[in-house]
Amino acid sequence: MTAHTDPPTARSGAADDDERLPCGRLLSQVWEAWEDRADDPHLRTCPHCREALGELDRLESAVRGLRADPADADDPDGSDVARRVMDVVRLELRPGRPLPLGEPGEDLWVMEAVAARSLRAAAETVPGVRAGSCRLRPAPRDGAPGPVEVRLEIHAPHDAALPALAEQVRARVRDAADSALGLPVLAVDIRITDLVDGSADDQEGGAR
Amino acid sequence: MNPRTLPGTLVQEIARAVADLPDVAFLRPGLAGRLRSAFSRTDPDTGPADGVRVTRRTGGAGWQVEIQLVARSRARTADVARAARSAAEERIAAALPDGRDDVRVTVVVTGLV
Repeated sequence: MTAHTDPPTARSGAADDDERLPCGRLLSQVWEAWEDRADDPHLRTCPHCREALGELDRLESAVRGLRADPADADDPDGSDVARRVMDVVRLELRPGRPLPLGEPGEDLWVMEAVAARSLRAAAETVPGVRAGSCRLRPAPRDGAPGPVEVRLEIHAPHDAALPALAEQVRARVRDAADSALGLPVLAVDIRITDLVDGSADDQEGGAR
Repeated sequence: MNPRTLPGTLVQEIARAVADLPDVAFLRPGLAGRLRSAFSRTDPDTGPADGVRVTRRTGGAGWQVEIQLVARSRARTADVARAARSAAEERIAAALPDGRDDVRVTVVVTGLV
């Protein structure tokens, strides 16, 4: 096997699975609006959007009935399984770019949206923190994509010591990238974009 | 050696070997594709090899096998991808004992559950 590592873009490029409905909306946008419970009259009246949302409802119902994994014994109503599966569906629609996993030249990749979701969740393990936009950009190395630069926006508790909080978030993100993903990281840039109610002493972070 | 053709069953065998790994949830097209084929499309039958694509490498020198999979989040993602490549390479080596060096395997993790 060779060590040549062009990113596998032919089939896994951005939005290759997304679909524009006959009304002009992207399927991913319709699903996001549904998940955000957006008050959008178009979604209520457009037959194409309503049909797409009906499919999503049916999928969610079906997934809630899954009991496939004995490891999910602490999830008696299947809601955690449902959430994870719905996440997968959404990420398939907006995958982002492929990012290199493991050692240089291994030719293993993870899609940006998948990695970003893991890193956002890691940031939200810091009490009171809510993660926003998470962008991952591979730095070029020897003409191929190398370690990623992470740019993560967070909302911080209003009473937090911000430099220490940012450092804590950075450490959690780096740890998740290494131990959960195996994603080489060059830098983690934390941007605190808002201060929110809630205390840095909360037991739980912003994990929803 | 540069095999001009690959055994017809090789792609299916690779797909099966990868899908059977304990930390691989499933291969693409995954849920969005299955959702659409089930509810809104008359997609052709989606066999187990949908997450495996074999193409000629640029310039015609050898083959490119691309595997797209959804991994279990309980395992380290890079390790799952590595295991998938090893499983694929074992199948390739068994099918093409003289031609394995001409086959490059790429693994893309497209989701975590």
